[in-house]
Amino acid sequence: MHVALKCFATLSRFTPPDAEAFAVAPGETAGGLAERLGIPMADLKLVFVNGEHVELTAQLKDGDRVGLFPAVGGG
Amino acid sequence: MPALLDLDEHIRRLARPEALPGGGECLMLSMEATLELARSLGRSRTKHLPLARVELAALNLGIAPERYLRNFSTYSYAEQARLLSSRLALVGLGGLGGLVLELLARAGVGQISAADGDEFAPSNLNRQLLCTRRSICGYKAAAAAARVALVNPAVAFEPVAVFLDEELMGRFLTGAELAVDALGGLNDRPALLRQAAAAGIPLVTAAVAGQAGFVATVLPGAKGPADFFGSEENGAAENTLGTPAPAVATAAAIMAAEAINILAGRKPGLAGAMLVFDLETMSFERVSL
Repeated sequence: MHVALKCFATLSRFTPPDAEAFAVAPGETAGGLAERLGIPMADLKLVFVNGEHVELTAQLKDGDRVGLFPAVGGG
Repeated sequence: MPALLDLDEHIRRLARPEALPGGGECLMLSMEATLELARSLGRSRTKHLPLARVELAALNLGIAPERYLRNFSTYSYAEQARLLSSRLALVGLGGLGGLVLELLARAGVGQISAADGDEFAPSNLNRQLLCTRRSICGYKAAAAAARVALVNPAVAFEPVAVFLDEELMGRFLTGAELAVDALGGLNDRPALLRQAAAAGIPLVTAAVAGQAGFVATVLPGAKGPADFFGSEENGAAENTLGTPAPAVATAAAIMAAEAINILAGRKPGLAGAMLVFDLETMSFERVSL
């Protein structure tokens, strides 16, 4: 199964080449996915799946749109 | 000083039909006539400046003040009048704050208090509307006051050239209908979120880093983005990506539109949600918090 992945701001450097259809294992969590991408957990502040804020323990499903967001404070 | 009924009479007498580009016509009070009537009113003990009193009276008569003509019919006369009677507390007059202030002053938000203790530095020139070769090294709050007076003198603007701690934030928000978080960095945002909740008013907040950013509306007691971001110690994305002008202006324009939604009495479009954007991929997504 695959998810569409979007890494924002400083996390964009962890974007894999196949982010549009990124393969995930059955039962893989949002946190597990971030870890596999090499994103330091301290830098990951918000995870969105299909437009909803979810916990790191949320399990991913085929076709999910996943957004990963760091702390952003510039103005 | 003419009595209020006299003011209405004067406005009716000076109003002129104006053809609308979309067909039909409306009654309009020219800017010149508005200024002339305001001068004849002089200062009063009401919260509104004379110019705002004339504009409000015209709107109540169904007559469009010329300076707001191009807002109709996006904002009804009643909504425009409500904006003129509204009170906003804006915290931060940097990249986001300067642009939000510009848009809300032009929209005719009647009372705006804005706080920032900072002075302009050369590194502000890349994005901050109020930072120019002339204003550099001066107080941001002073440049803001000068700009509002130039752009729309109907706005009663209160500049506060002070960095607000949490207690001062609480006092600063007193009497406002809406708080706008245009702060820079992460450290002061949780305090503003708490104080807006304590004041029982919504908070429109935004931040950018590089080409990405977000805008959110936090209703009193609800969680906001700042609740998830932690403090500056762990680093914020803008410290490496910076704050280029297009992302700042995008966030500021969305903040201003949302502030107008709320102050005009409409439903906030982003309550409990964030609009996240990335100008590199040109993607916008509304996500719930």
